[in-house]
Amino acid sequence: MDGTSDVGVDCAALLSEFADSVLACHGAALDTSRKQLAAAIGAAGMIDAAAVIAGFNGICRIADATGIPLEPPKAELTAGLRADLGIDRFLEAKS
Amino acid sequence: MIEVRRDMAEALAEAWSQIGRCGTWWTGAERVEIAAETRRAATCALCSARRAALSPATVSGVHDPCSSFPLASVEAIHRIRTDSGRLGAGWYERLLADGLSDAYYVELLSIVAIVVAVDTFRAAVGLPPLPLSASAAGEPARRRPVGAKPGLAWMPTLAPEDRAAEDPDLYRENPGPRERGGGNVHRALSLVPRSMIHWWDMFETMYLPAPAMRDFSREYRAISHAQIEFLAARVAALNQCVY
Repeated sequence: MDGTSDVGVDCAALLSEFADSVLACHGAALDTSRKQLAAAIGAAGMIDAAAVIAGFNGICRIADATGIPLEPPKAELTAGLRADLGIDRFLEAKS
Repeated sequence: MIEVRRDMAEALAEAWSQIGRCGTWWTGAERVEIAAETRRAATCALCSARRAALSPATVSGVHDPCSSFPLASVEAIHRIRTDSGRLGAGWYERLLADGLSDAYYVELLSIVAIVVAVDTFRAAVGLPPLPLSASAAGEPARRRPVGAKPGLAWMPTLAPEDRAAEDPDLYRENPGPRERGGGNVHRALSLVPRSMIHWWDMFETMYLPAPAMRDFSREYRAISHAQIEFLAARVAALNQCVY
């Protein structure tokens, strides 16, 4: 793991792995990814990354549990992206 | 040794403490029970089975609660905690039919979200969970914003332009200088103004306040705007969050 990727974001792979292990609550994997990320971007960076992950883990619940829609300009702007990524299919799972 | 940014450490501590204070609809003791129930959901057998199922509707049973709340409240807490990406308007309407009111629901949701955020953060940086807040006495005011209107979300919300004279300005002035544009996600909790402020005052220290989010001339955190948005998108995808 060299922390690089083709998405144009520094340390994207390490950040993604950290987010995945945090949300999966994988103790050993989380310890490892936390240390790797801190080694790459520093302890303060790791803590700010943890804060973003945690904050969005909360706000996703607020968005999904209130049924707020995407603002029309944002929806229009991201229509192609959402289709490509399959995000619109999330709606089919709602009950 | 974990050194958390001071503004965030203070905001997290304040948000956690506020859980135990009397709310607009729930008492302090009830709010602490909601927090406990949020944690309980993580080990609920029914929630686990539903989460694993192709559709949660195919799994019947009862939750494994730790509180004395009515079933609708327990269902709301557990599903929001464990399977929020598959919640729909029909599920919400069933909660209302089962006796949970919209404003009680919104305040409950704010507490679940704060517990999720704080617990997630502490686990992420390798800290143990905080003990539950102590509860304070008090009688909920049970007052709805006069200008709240239905239409945007499942429940009524208070838009900046609909605010009546007696309603707080959630977006800019009350109780201090804030700059929240009134986007849909800002309005989500606005049926209970204190709950909205409770959440956003904490969340903006974990993420970014709106002006900083749009200011690409400098970085405000130890990670870049791009890294922040990359993480936000990843977490949203993992949670199957459409917004």
